[in-house]
Amino acid sequence: MKNIQMVVFAVGKEDYGIDIFCTQEIIRIPKNITRVPNMPSFIEGMLNLRDQVIPVVDLRKRFGLENMETENDSRLLVLNLEGMLLGNIVDDVSEVLSVGEESIESLYVEIAHLGNNCIKGICKVEDRLIMLLDVTKLKNEIFASVS
Amino acid sequence: MIKFSALDSCKSLAETLGHLVPGGIMFCVTEGDTIVWRFSSDSFHLDSFEVGNHVESNGVMMNAVRNKKTVSQNVPRTVYGQRLIIVAMPIIDDTDNVFGAFSVFLPKLHPVAAAFKDFAPVLAEMFDEGSVIYMTDLTQVVYRQASLKFDISSLPVGHVIQEEDVAARTIKTKKPISEEGGAEIYGFPVLETNYPLFDEDNPDEIVASLGVIIPKKTAAHLRIISGNLEDGLSAISAAIEELAAEATSIHSNEQNLNNNIKEIIGLSEEINKVSVFIKEIADETKMLGLNAAIEAARAGESGRGFGVVAEEIRKLSEQSKSTVPRIQELTDTIKAKVNDAGDMSKSSLHASQEQAAATEQVTASIEEITAMCGELNEMAKTL
Repeated sequence: MKNIQMVVFAVGKEDYGIDIFCTQEIIRIPKNITRVPNMPSFIEGMLNLRDQVIPVVDLRKRFGLENMETENDSRLLVLNLEGMLLGNIVDDVSEVLSVGEESIESLYVEIAHLGNNCIKGICKVEDRLIMLLDVTKLKNEIFASVS
Repeated sequence: MIKFSALDSCKSLAETLGHLVPGGIMFCVTEGDTIVWRFSSDSFHLDSFEVGNHVESNGVMMNAVRNKKTVSQNVPRTVYGQRLIIVAMPIIDDTDNVFGAFSVFLPKLHPVAAAFKDFAPVLAEMFDEGSVIYMTDLTQVVYRQASLKFDISSLPVGHVIQEEDVAARTIKTKKPISEEGGAEIYGFPVLETNYPLFDEDNPDEIVASLGVIIPKKTAAHLRIISGNLEDGLSAISAAIEELAAEATSIHSNEQNLNNNIKEIIGLSEEINKVSVFIKEIADETKMLGLNAAIEAARAGESGRGFGVVAEEIRKLSEQSKSTVPRIQELTDTIKAKVNDAGDMSKSSLHASQEQAAATEQVTASIEEITAMCGELNEMAKTL
């Protein structure tokens, strides 16, 4: 039985998980995010991260959640999506969890297709539900809209 | 001069008249220097003049015999213990020889003394609190009259006057004296007035004194009461002054307390700042831990141990972060309590200010009463 390590973060009140191998680092939200015209509202802009220009996404907006003020605990979770770097504004990055594959439940296909969403499955940890993100879907979606 | 032949008539006349003379009278007949006959009224008697006694050769009787004429003499108290007028008339026989002398002895009584029994009982009752009226000769009390209301038992007839007595001083200075006192002599306060009485014929010779003693109990009592009142009031004033001083110190203490409370509020804000700093450090540590875990995962099997450490670091950071709201809760409680204390101290400050104002009013009233008490005291002194 294989264990999957994932980084758990919060958007709104919900917890999401993403494969740790897709994560690059976690930093405070920089102040110098450059807005780019004619972008979907969830694209926050572009950021210069150590001489590398990366797009920044506000996942709250992307997930259709209420637009809340950036809180003090908000972080920028930098993902490495198959070689491409992407900054994601999340409300909190709480932990790194190691879960067995068997505890991940796939969503019914019908439900997964509703709302064009990029959730791969749901993981139960004790009494919490953590939504596992599909990295490829996320990448395609975001870079499709950027390009 | 009396004829020897008329002597018997004179004797019987004298015996008859003798009883009629107020104050008494005495008659003597001497043959040579020897007393051969004597008559004295009931109220007047001199032991020195008994039948058979000899009279002094340079006395008034022998003078009359020698000079063959009537001689009169004033005899001071010092000789017979009583002032006398002696009038001696020579008695001559048919051959014009001097047989002896017919003498009249009249006690000399001051008009005031003579009238004492008449006026004193009336006068004594004329004073509100009663009085004692007394008359002295030069050495002792000879008459006294007490009122129904007031008497001085230590001043009986026969009481020998002492040097410090008002009567003694009046006799010595020949001037009227009126003074308050008596507490040390009679045991209670009196006003004693004493007048010198002079000889009727010789206004320079003091012969007696007349005194009136009236009690000053009411005035003295009043004076004692007003004195006590004054003492009591000054004690109250002192106590109130102390109160006022304490109110002032309460005031300044309360101000200090207020300042301290402000400082405590400031300090708890400082604690909050420190706890915010702790939270920042915890946040930073958490991020470090998470990033370390990501790096460890990327390192694969060789990073596993490091990943555990990284997770522990993250957990620790969570724990330190969780202390922050607890600290803030505590500092908020402290602030609330301290604010309560501040309110209470303000209200007690207010109360102490009111107290100070009330104290001032009381002090003013006490001053008024003290002034009135002083007036009362002055009034009591003049009563």
